[in-house]
Amino acid sequence: MIFLKRQLPLAITFVMGVGFILQYYIPHPVSEDAITTVSKWMQIISGFALFLGLASLFHVHAVKIKRQVPGWGYSLALYVGMVGTMVAGFWNHGETMADGGQTAFGWLYDYTMVPLQGTMFSILAFFIASAAYRAFRARSREASVLLVSAVVVMMGRVPLGQFLVPWTWDVTQWLLNVLNSAVRRAILIGVSMGAVALSLKIILGIERSYLGGGKDQ
Amino acid sequence: MPEAMLPPETILGAWVAAGLTLFIYSFLYKDNPLFKLSEHLYVGISVGYSVVLAWHTVFLRLLWEPLKKSIGEAPASPDSYVLLIPAALGLFMLTRFIPQVSWLSRIAFAFVVGFGSGVAIPRTISSYILKQIEDTVNPLVPAAGGGFSAFMDFALPQSGVNTVILLIGVVSVLFYFFFSVEHTGAGMVTARTGIYFLMIAFGAAFGYTVMSRISLLIGRFRDLITFSGAAYSYATLVLLAVTVLSLVGWEVVVRRQNGERTRE
Amino acid sequence: MKAFARRMVGIDRRVIFLLIAAAILLPMLKPFGLPIKVSPEVKAVYDYIEALPERSVFLLSFDFDPSSKPELEPQAVALLRHAFRKNLRVIGMTHWLTGTGLADGVFSQVAAETGRERGKDYVFLGWSPGGSALIISMGQDLYQAFPSDYTKTPTRGMPVLEGVRNLRDVNYMVSLAAGGAGIEMWYVFGKDKYRFEMAGGSTGVIAPGLYPFLRSGQINGLIGGLQGAAEYETLIKRKGTATAGMDAQSAAHFVIIVLVILCNVFYFILRGEKGSPR
Repeated sequence: MIFLKRQLPLAITFVMGVGFILQYYIPHPVSEDAITTVSKWMQIISGFALFLGLASLFHVHAVKIKRQVPGWGYSLALYVGMVGTMVAGFWNHGETMADGGQTAFGWLYDYTMVPLQGTMFSILAFFIASAAYRAFRARSREASVLLVSAVVVMMGRVPLGQFLVPWTWDVTQWLLNVLNSAVRRAILIGVSMGAVALSLKIILGIERSYLGGGKDQ
Repeated sequence: MPEAMLPPETILGAWVAAGLTLFIYSFLYKDNPLFKLSEHLYVGISVGYSVVLAWHTVFLRLLWEPLKKSIGEAPASPDSYVLLIPAALGLFMLTRFIPQVSWLSRIAFAFVVGFGSGVAIPRTISSYILKQIEDTVNPLVPAAGGGFSAFMDFALPQSGVNTVILLIGVVSVLFYFFFSVEHTGAGMVTARTGIYFLMIAFGAAFGYTVMSRISLLIGRFRDLITFSGAAYSYATLVLLAVTVLSLVGWEVVVRRQNGERTRE
Repeated sequence: MKAFARRMVGIDRRVIFLLIAAAILLPMLKPFGLPIKVSPEVKAVYDYIEALPERSVFLLSFDFDPSSKPELEPQAVALLRHAFRKNLRVIGMTHWLTGTGLADGVFSQVAAETGRERGKDYVFLGWSPGGSALIISMGQDLYQAFPSDYTKTPTRGMPVLEGVRNLRDVNYMVSLAAGGAGIEMWYVFGKDKYRFEMAGGSTGVIAPGLYPFLRSGQINGLIGGLQGAAEYETLIKRKGTATAGMDAQSAAHFVIIVLVILCNVFYFILRGEKGSPR
């Protein structure tokens, strides 16, 4: 049983990992067929993985409603929204348009989901302005450099800034293409080396957190 | 010529969209029931939409229909049943919620994680590391000549001077993050150079983030302005009044309750 | 002076919210219309599409959801208008599940205004899970990755996909991305092996992080944020929502710059005072 619970998953990870590292360098049709097939399988398995996250959400709010904790009415609203959308979606076979017109599912998407999701993220603009006013101070040389760079880019990337102070456009282009590129490149190289190291640790069975814990890991 | 009347579902949709938008923005005053209601509706509707689309795409389009077709055409051939393997692995993944058989999910995760790690390693090395280093150490002097003025052309990102600055930036930032060596002497100068490069990049990132968030706000305001028109029966204006009055009413009730609690 | 500075530093943040709201609302109601300067990275995308022969295959991946709609939808509309004007065959798809309806809406809208036909001039494949696995699957066999399109029409035999077996048959690709599952993923798992040319359209938040790819030629162009969309609209000589939004963008930026400068002025006035803001 220990073999099935511990050794087998680690062996599968190792075989799959090494196999697909080698596959990249082997242009043989068998190798190409393998990646064609397995990548298709991954699409299907990823779809199942979606339901993992969704099931967890169902459970958390179901418990809140059952125990009638403070604020359980909002969890009920969540369920109403979820079930209503699912009913409309399955009724319309997952289609947002039918016979040249919008379905109920499409209506829900356009007039509830799109504005809700858009507004949730747009509200950050207010907070970014408020935070900039309260905290964006030239306390040190480094902070001053950051401040000047931010102001130049904010001016250089809008027509009014380009019109009033034309050199901010050219300086912004230079900042982005040279200085910013250098930093992002360095971070990219460093992070990628870390990612490759982590992937190797996973393949070799040194890193096992993806197995989900438990004393037989 | 009078404007064509909008269909009733469009007008209703505009009222719902404007209302939900204003309820979310009411958070700018204070966390309140209107915001909480909209926030929970947002999560619920997103989840519902995801479930419907995932079902139709994953189960029907990628699994059920191809399986039905292949088994229908060649029921005796083992190749027709090959898609049952990812289906089984997907089901194994869902056993994570059943403690007695949750170990089955490890097999599915091993498969996915092994594949993901295996395909990522050579591609990451090629795209993120080798290609980036290659571009950093390109020749400093332009191959086609052009002389000193071409070398010193700051406006051209590929000019000699910019390539030198880029090289200095990459090396100094990489060195700054290398904590295994003490940053003293020449090392300290390199690390400090790296810090200044980082500050400039973070400033640029801040500027772009501000631009991005403001753009999102512009998008929502555009919709609110559109829905404030006569064609939509002044949805935004009416709902703005409703939201403000609701918040005032709620504030009065809360203050009264707090006052009573204090007296007790 | 110090008392004034102290009061201003502690001002209710809702005043700042109102200032930002006014800075955006007023220019939208009364635009002033300044010229838009085009950057080389946006022009590179335009020039490449402009040079493509008719009926070339153009893949447009809508890797965003409604939260990034104001920035990326104008880019999508401008690119589609350009592609349809050049009579290219357009393949659309998305990696972001909640962005599917949005993407289909954009296709329907632009196709209707340009008289293009689904199945003949364009196809919207919809969403499929997998991310990098999906790209690899498309790179190996497009019809296995997407057996049918968003309207459930089988993809095999579609006139718009004639001669297209996988990503190697794509002439140009643009990923409109709002995050991780986007441009970088398309390069690493797509262009690196399947060798199609590609560019990126992104939100302002992730745009600075994509410049190393632009520098190294891994992407041939980059359309960054609403400004990038406005630049593209200028190039195709068809103003849209991006251009209309730039006045408000300018005003809001200036308000924030003034706020930041003021905050520093007050900070320097109060610096060194006991209990002053640090």
